[in-house]
Amino acid sequence: MAANTTEPLIETKGLVKNFGSFTALNGVDLQVFPGEVHALLGDNGAGKSTLIKILSGVFKPTEGEIFVEGEKVSFTSPRDATGAGIGTVYQDLALNALTSVTRNFFLGREMTHFPGPFGILKTAEMDRIATEEMAKIGINVADPNQPVGTMSGGQRQTLAIARAIYFGAKVLILDEPTSALGQKQQMEVLKTIRKVQQFGDIAIILITHNEIHARLIADRFTFLSLGEVIGQGTSKDLEGDDIKRLMAGGAEIGDLAKELAV
Amino acid sequence: MNQSASTRKESDRLASKSWLKSLFARPEIGPIGVMLLLFGMLGYFSIPAGEFSLNPFAGEGFNALGIRNNLRVIAQLGIIALGAGLLIIAGEFDLSIGSMIGFAGACMAMVLRWGFAIVIPYISFEGGMHVEFFTLIHITDISPIGAITITMCFTLFFGWLQGYIVVRSGLPSFIVTLGGLFFLRGLTEVSLRAFNHRPDQTKGATTVTELPDIKNIIDVPGHGEMERDAAKALSEADLMAILKDVPADTIASLTERLQYTAQRVADAKTQIMAAKGVKPLERALENAIESGNTVMADTIRNKIETFVVTPTVPKEITDIDVARAYIDTIGSARPVANFFGGDILQPIFDFLYFPVDWNTNNFGNQFAPGLYSCVMIWVILALLCYVVLSRTQAGNWIYSTGGNLQAAKANGVPTDRVKISLFVFSAFCATIFATCQVFEVNTADAAKGNLKELEAIAAAVIGGIVMTGGFGTVVGIIVGAFIFGLAKEAFFYIPGIDGSFYRVFLGLVIIASALLNENIRKRIMGAL
Ligand SMILES: Nc1ncnc2c1ncn2[C@@H]1O[C@H](COP(=O)(O)OP(=O)(O)O)[C@@H](O)[C@H]1O
Ligand SMILES: [Mg+2]
Repeated sequence: MAANTTEPLIETKGLVKNFGSFTALNGVDLQVFPGEVHALLGDNGAGKSTLIKILSGVFKPTEGEIFVEGEKVSFTSPRDATGAGIGTVYQDLALNALTSVTRNFFLGREMTHFPGPFGILKTAEMDRIATEEMAKIGINVADPNQPVGTMSGGQRQTLAIARAIYFGAKVLILDEPTSALGQKQQMEVLKTIRKVQQFGDIAIILITHNEIHARLIADRFTFLSLGEVIGQGTSKDLEGDDIKRLMAGGAEIGDLAKELAV
Repeated sequence: MNQSASTRKESDRLASKSWLKSLFARPEIGPIGVMLLLFGMLGYFSIPAGEFSLNPFAGEGFNALGIRNNLRVIAQLGIIALGAGLLIIAGEFDLSIGSMIGFAGACMAMVLRWGFAIVIPYISFEGGMHVEFFTLIHITDISPIGAITITMCFTLFFGWLQGYIVVRSGLPSFIVTLGGLFFLRGLTEVSLRAFNHRPDQTKGATTVTELPDIKNIIDVPGHGEMERDAAKALSEADLMAILKDVPADTIASLTERLQYTAQRVADAKTQIMAAKGVKPLERALENAIESGNTVMADTIRNKIETFVVTPTVPKEITDIDVARAYIDTIGSARPVANFFGGDILQPIFDFLYFPVDWNTNNFGNQFAPGLYSCVMIWVILALLCYVVLSRTQAGNWIYSTGGNLQAAKANGVPTDRVKISLFVFSAFCATIFATCQVFEVNTADAAKGNLKELEAIAAAVIGGIVMTGGFGTVVGIIVGAFIFGLAKEAFFYIPGIDGSFYRVFLGLVIIASALLNENIRKRIMGAL
């Protein structure tokens, strides 16, 4: 996969986020390259969600800078972030289970025959695009008119990812995409991520608790603990043991064993 | 999910659904069944006992007048059910619909009767402190369109306000519109009393009467604008003068029609007389046969055979009759009032009477002049709603606002605007309902529309709308209105049972529908 040779698609320098007197992030530097999966790991409360909420325009950072394709950006709303090419797929996926695949795919960005909210939907064209875009990342929907509620969790993830990419995401942020899924569907989602990785021009930030998944798919890792980066590197840089240790917030496995023994 | 490893893919599971199963997953299928059942019941039971007939149009339920009256009830409910239903799909309620109907009707009637004024109260100190009123403007003689516009300004603003409070405060719309329910009803009663009996407010009536029959104001040649009934009551000389300018072929066709009617009336009379004359004889014959009096029986039999009724002679058609019939054909000079309160499809109903001979009452006269205009307005609104909900961007926004508010927001759907617009639309539908009523009957009453909000919600639920939002169709809402409107009539005609059973029936249907809807929703959500 494309390595360090290219410019980072998105980069943060010294991001700080305070909630009142509480420091959620304390100077985070992050570089994400096109065609790479960047795993963001860390214990509960480490600040992962806070970091991606800043990247997707939900929070404003207290300090620090964000660069997209080398240019400094400043987001005041999620809309700004989407406009800059940052697509976030949240855990709840922002899907309406009661309506069809197509209607969800184009939700809020429907294609219509004439402008305005009363524009007639281009149903056939939207059906075709939704089907095609999902096929590109590996899911064949039997019927684009089937309600999303009838799809598996993995298929829903795929739908949300395909939607983000179709609407111009260069940076794809996935918040625990596998956490609520069964084994088989987790693999489905990983395959989808791999497909996007292979496009080569999209940078993926993957937040996960699952070390195995991270190791299977990620090219680069960042470990957060108590709002700070405690380790960063490519998959080659990090030995298996390192990952375990860093996931646990920097403590040695031995220390943990001792703690348990008390 | 936890299938053993196989070659089957996730997507195969959907394809295996049979067409029958997908038909039953349609939310409207149950309601349509109930609707057809009620149609059948109404057709069957409304045929008078003893007069066996396979023709469902023979009974009172589906004769011309039955159709006219039943469709009116259904259309009125259907109009407000559209507003209520769309709002529920977007996840909110409007309990103020009934009061809004009362308010809108009263407002419109008052403006038509007394005009519109902007009055500024102020405190005056001359001769002791008291409140005086300064009339900024006062417009009298307001046209129907003017009255409708003024009323719409009030009702749509109120709808907007309720929506605004709901989305801004995050309060349940149930509470906010419950406030609206009491507020509007009270405001209507207070203003009607105030206007009816100034200055003693406690004595006024809460109605507006004495409105002219606006939709029937016509421009009579040589006399100017006047009510149709007044025109028909003009002197014979005046009527003859009016007839003078009417083209000959119009007169010929009017005369032909009047003669047909006269003949029908005469025939009907003859038939009734014959039936009346023979019936006692037949009864006497039965008695005679029973008692074995053959001589008597023969005499009576002979009498029956030779029984003759002198046919009634049809009424002679005079020029005056033709002139009055001509006045009936003059179009309304108040097209807007006529649009809301008049009749539609008159040519078809005329045709059904003459020559088809179906639209006829027992006395040989034409039964129904046409359908109420509100039926057409319902059809127009339903078509618009159907297109908007299922074919436009706004429709997708409505579904997602009710289906998953957070998802809709995250995808940039202006959910607040969607909700507020639908509160406004609900108020619009209530106002349309009131407009039709005011121009149909030329009165207003503060009690109008009572409980209509619950009927509208019930119709929506029966039609497959899920109360938690995000699910339902316009076809369903239409079917729900049909069921609600038909139930009363259908049960009324079932022999030997209390007509109020229709409420029992509706109660059961509402609960059954809600259960069914929830089941379908869960199945679609993947929970079943
Ligand atoms: N809006 C907020 N206001 C105050 N504290 C917050 C807020 N959001 C997150 N935090 C705090 O910041 C810390 C990091 O949270 P989060 O980014 O959600 O961690 P993670 O996603 O890694 O589990 C937590 O201690 C959390 O309580
Ligand atoms: Mg988190």
